[in-house]
Amino acid sequence: MTTAPVRPPLVRRSDRFIAGVCSGLAAHLGLPVNTVRVGMVLASFAGGAGVVFYAWLWIMVPTAYESARRQAGRPASPIAPAVSREPVHAGNPGLPAGSPPAAGSGAVVPGVSGAGMGAADAAAGSSVGAPDGPAAAVPPPLFRFRDMRYGKEILLGVGLLLVAGILCAQLLGVDVPLGTLIPAAAVLGGASIAWMQLDETRRAGLVDMTKANQTGGWARLAAGLALVVAGVLVMVSGSGSWEQTWLALLASVAVLGGVVLVLLPWGLRFWRDLEAERAGRIRETERAEIAAHLHDSVLQTLALIQRRAANEHDVVRLARAQERELRGWLFEDPGKDSGQLSDRIKAVAAEVEDLLGNVVEVVSVGDTAVMEGHEALIQASREAMLNASRHGAGPVSVYLEVSGERAEVFIKDRGPGFDLQDVPEDRMGVRESIIGRMKRHGGTAKIISSNEGTEVRLGFPAAQADSTEGRP
Amino acid sequence: MNLAQSGGIGTGGATRQVRVVLVDDHAIFRSGLRADLDPSVQVVGEAATVEQAIAVIARERPDVVLLDVHLPGGLGGGGREVIAGSASLLSSTRFLALSVSDAAEDVVAVIRAGARGYVTKTISGAEITDAVYRVAGGDAVFSPRLAGFVLDAFGTAPADIADDELDRLSARELEVMRLIARGYSYKEVAKELFISIKTVETHVSAVLRKLQLSSRHELTKWAAERRLL
Repeated sequence: MTTAPVRPPLVRRSDRFIAGVCSGLAAHLGLPVNTVRVGMVLASFAGGAGVVFYAWLWIMVPTAYESARRQAGRPASPIAPAVSREPVHAGNPGLPAGSPPAAGSGAVVPGVSGAGMGAADAAAGSSVGAPDGPAAAVPPPLFRFRDMRYGKEILLGVGLLLVAGILCAQLLGVDVPLGTLIPAAAVLGGASIAWMQLDETRRAGLVDMTKANQTGGWARLAAGLALVVAGVLVMVSGSGSWEQTWLALLASVAVLGGVVLVLLPWGLRFWRDLEAERAGRIRETERAEIAAHLHDSVLQTLALIQRRAANEHDVVRLARAQERELRGWLFEDPGKDSGQLSDRIKAVAAEVEDLLGNVVEVVSVGDTAVMEGHEALIQASREAMLNASRHGAGPVSVYLEVSGERAEVFIKDRGPGFDLQDVPEDRMGVRESIIGRMKRHGGTAKIISSNEGTEVRLGFPAAQADSTEGRP
Repeated sequence: MNLAQSGGIGTGGATRQVRVVLVDDHAIFRSGLRADLDPSVQVVGEAATVEQAIAVIARERPDVVLLDVHLPGGLGGGGREVIAGSASLLSSTRFLALSVSDAAEDVVAVIRAGARGYVTKTISGAEITDAVYRVAGGDAVFSPRLAGFVLDAFGTAPADIADDELDRLSARELEVMRLIARGYSYKEVAKELFISIKTVETHVSAVLRKLQLSSRHELTKWAAERRLL
């Protein structure tokens, strides 16, 4: 740990008493949380230094979520790298191209749900290198930004040291010309605030500029301008009478106005060109992503389909798997949290579809995070889908509804149906994996079967702690 | 399947043939659809773009237009634009939207423009024939997915008396939508709820009307979340 220069990024974490500063700091420094907390409290007694330090970090350090959001940048970008890993699977003729990650193994981030990139993953991935994350698209500005951030802090530290030195000197009786120093410092500070933006706007031009960034930039520009103008005014007015100052001010405002008037159209055109170019570049990136995706998965699947044209079953399965993947890529809301209950049910349905080649259509209404007991619901649904796919005819309909308290799953097929009484005792499928499992976890399972089809109805109350059985 | 038996010639009251125009920009899909449709359905015209579609519909005045949601031409509005361009015929010509898209925005936009139903392109020939007859007879056709969207948009809690009646589904309408989302055919819904098929159709049409007319804030919010507006 000590030899590795790589530390987790300094972010405020979610396990917290106040703002998550201490736990974030502890993770960053590799110290136990409690040590840091006690240290912070002790430091607070030293003239409130701990409190000031805490407040400082609270303001300056982003939360893990914010940090992830910042690193993730545009939501679309993580797709391309995720998808480009696909050929590993798609190239294997034994496997359907788009299917592998959807199988719910959990080991690989599925190409599509990676778009949402859970905050936790992104935080971990965004640490120092993040070579295959979104950072890869724009590495130099990112690193420059990091340098810049430390640079800012160093600058601030130097400034504070200077102020402290001047104060000390004054205390020691040295005559410091504050009358000129303060305005000069104001001018310097204002100018540096304004100039610091230059680098950041260039970075923002490459990523895309959000509204928040823009307003922050304007505020900084205004602050810098105000500081410079005030500093210059004080400096100038110190050397002459007020009347002269006013005259000079008026003249300079007039000159500035004239210059603005002349340069405005030119500036506007320049700005518009810049905007157009930026939009063009974003479009280009998007197009490249789509092209990469089409190439990596769709063309691969089409090639596979041509090779296996003789086998109808395989062709249908390949086409279906590709359709599912493409749909997920095109229509899934990237802002949505992944790993919700509906995602799990859909993943299970995809798995069953791949296994048996029968279409499983999932419709979901409402959603919830997967809680402990839901695992039983998912597994029972899987079992019911397998049965429906195996014995039913035509597509299997799956309907998931989550409303407030309850999660319900309905699995319907149009097979010949069966009578539960006729199922032999030793057949574990229905009795054990569906009904028994649901009951053990406090849920309900009901099977309605007629000669026109079978419907399995599974119900599960929400907020149900589950401790009796782990994953089957 | 059961769908075809329950609907079809019986409900449409069709001693006459149903006249249909196919609108889709893929010739392969049009010819496939033509072959899949029941012989009792008469295809009187085809179109591949928004302009062609509006012209063919105005000339032929069909009973039903099978309309792809995504179409080239026009102002880029696709199927929605075709319906808007044929607004004067909406009383006699019914639109049934067909799409490969699962995006909520496509589905809801075309329904709100005036389509009487929405089915996906993977649907079988018998099912699509049944849907054509249903729409020709003035009913609405809801696929399980559309029912799911409706439930998602309107919420699954039944209406209060205080609510504007357009803003929520009644308890019965909710039940019908839920069953359709679960993959039930109209006939099966009727059997499950001990009501007639005609009543099921009435409920579905009522939901369609609400979907088209409601301006409730939750629908707007729901749509905005999915970048519809």
